[in-house]
Amino acid sequence: MSGYTRRLAAAAMLLALTACTTTDIASVEEPPAAPLTGQTNDPAPGFESVKAGSEEDFILNVGRRIYFTQDSAKLDSVAMTTLDNQAAWLNRNPAWLIKLQGFADDSGSVSKMKSLSQQRADAAMVYLASKGVDPKRMWAKGYGEDREVRDCTERSCKVQNRRVVANLRTEPDAT
Amino acid sequence: MVWTRRDILLGGLALLGTGAVRKPAFAQAASYFTGTAADNGVTFRATNFAKIDRQWQRQVVKYFSSEPIGTVVVDTRHHFLYLIMENKTAIRYGVGVGREGFKWFGRATIDSKSLWPRWTPPPEMRKRHPELPEFVAGGSPKNPLGPRAMYLHRDGVDTGYRFHGTLEPWSIGKDASSGCIRMFNEDAIDLYQRCPIGTAVQVLPHIADQAPAAEVSQATPVE
Repeated sequence: MSGYTRRLAAAAMLLALTACTTTDIASVEEPPAAPLTGQTNDPAPGFESVKAGSEEDFILNVGRRIYFTQDSAKLDSVAMTTLDNQAAWLNRNPAWLIKLQGFADDSGSVSKMKSLSQQRADAAMVYLASKGVDPKRMWAKGYGEDREVRDCTERSCKVQNRRVVANLRTEPDAT
Repeated sequence: MVWTRRDILLGGLALLGTGAVRKPAFAQAASYFTGTAADNGVTFRATNFAKIDRQWQRQVVKYFSSEPIGTVVVDTRHHFLYLIMENKTAIRYGVGVGREGFKWFGRATIDSKSLWPRWTPPPEMRKRHPELPEFVAGGSPKNPLGPRAMYLHRDGVDTGYRFHGTLEPWSIGKDASSGCIRMFNEDAIDLYQRCPIGTAVQVLPHIADQAPAAEVSQATPVE
């Protein structure tokens, strides 16, 4: 397991111990890393040297995020290209599982955002399956408006929040 | 540095570069490429990264600043482009920037982007370089934009400023272009995937963390 993953796993366990309410579930899913020390331009933890097939390789050379236009769960050509790269990488590295996390920050009610974010995550999963990734390795979950990117102009923030993030996993979520 | 209407004009005029970096001798230039790669039906010469200084290669670094996730920040002086990620990290790319007199600073958004864009040298550039054609077709091995261009707009108006690829990988890490930010072709393809339309961009003289002690005032984001 890489340094980056270990750190995340450690942070996740810490959170699992301290977080009791269901609203914290989202942060357990993608836990904050331990506070960084050092200086800008230092290699990020785990990225000092990146091995093929590692989570760092996936982040640096493939990319975890795809984006959507407003009120849409349709994959555009750019999203499909990223998913093609993700599928090729997953097919080369069959030990990894993958969780697709959908988000939405569009127009509508909380429940509508929740279902839109689920549709986005599902669309990504269906596409990856069509490119040969075993559906048993994947699961998808919509988080609605959780974990929004804020503090930017409305437009620049919203485009970041209309996304699906592919998270590599070594085991399925506990249910 | 105060960002003025004149700067917009200069930015608009200081367009795409047939860079002024002297081309290395032919054999040496060839060593910057290794084999070919295919992208959207176009075959292009792949960059030989074994030849490229590690600091200009794409990498994930710590980045201690307050820009929100997804923002692109260019440190012109140090020839780095950062895409901000979570947990105080960023993907850092080596870039080539405008040479003296062709630099541009400011805030913008990526309002459009294209694959293997056609290049139309602006009239001002054709005046300086009459040998330039009216346009160069997208995908042409002579097209200086390479495989991708991301067009920077401000308040809906094209600044004339772009992120794009390059025919001259040896110019990455240098002041070379007529104002645009040039990247390794592989990196231009990568960044294109990661920047949705609407992405916020800041082009700075240098980021705050890299300010020389005497010039801290320059490090504040230009408006």
